Amino acid sequence: MAATAERALGKATSRSGEHLLGIATLVALGVSAVLSLVVTPPDAVQGEVQRIMYVHVPAAWLAYLSFFVVFIASIGYLKTKKTRWDRVAAASAEIGVLFTSLAIVLGMLWGKPVWGTWWTWDPRLTTTAVLLLIYVAYLAIRRITDNPSRRARWAAVVGIVGFIDVPIVHLSVVWWRSLHQGPTVFRLGGPEIEGTMLLALLAGVAAFTITYAYLMTLRLRVGRLEERAAREALSPLVGAER
Amino acid sequence: MAANAGYVIAGYLVTALALGGYTLRLFARARTAKRRARTIADRRRDG
Repeated sequence: MAATAERALGKATSRSGEHLLGIATLVALGVSAVLSLVVTPPDAVQGEVQRIMYVHVPAAWLAYLSFFVVFIASIGYLKTKKTRWDRVAAASAEIGVLFTSLAIVLGMLWGKPVWGTWWTWDPRLTTTAVLLLIYVAYLAIRRITDNPSRRARWAAVVGIVGFIDVPIVHLSVVWWRSLHQGPTVFRLGGPEIEGTMLLALLAGVAAFTITYAYLMTLRLRVGRLEERAAREALSPLVGAER
Repeated sequence: MAANAGYVIAGYLVTALALGGYTLRLFARARTAKRRARTIADRRRDG
């Protein structure tokens, strides 16, 4: 019995590939930092402060990706009722909140010297703040009930409905008059950005995507371990010993 | 130092702290959960 438990524990904490992904993350982030801080020239208008773009934009795109994964995993859970989907959605939502917060803070650091203010109720900023609140609420909902299937069901509904805000955030600069600049890369007529700067930006997106994959691996392992610990703690056998 | 370089340094520092801090937090959570599961498994084996 103990051997089986230990084998299961060992399997749950298996780190195959995790170390490699960790090294790839460090290398990718290092390359991205060199490209964005050393190789690219300063912006003709904004000067050095424009270099914040190489972390601000990837953070925002990874927030979109994280919530897209939540959306897909939530649909997957509601269709199959398999807890694996719920675990993926929970992990991705947590990481998405991290990237959204990072995008907002970096945007504030960029906005202060360029716009002259840390924050303004601009459509892009406001819809992004709403996006953060939706997924903080998603994480809060997961703590309301201890019933795993009810928790997963409620969270999946929020994960699907909440994703509606992602295209609204992205298109807010097109739909409404905004202080925030419009699309620079994905626009009709091709990217409106200098070649080296585009390369550094894409390297930043790639590095953040690898970071997301690494964080997902870690967070999924944590999820499996925490579920296992909770299951063991609630097991009738242990209860009988108390 | 170039004008507004402080904002750039702050931005990259915040990014490093956020990503590094969250990674360390995940390691700590994994360690705690592993220890908890192992303690319970040990109690079951000993009992």
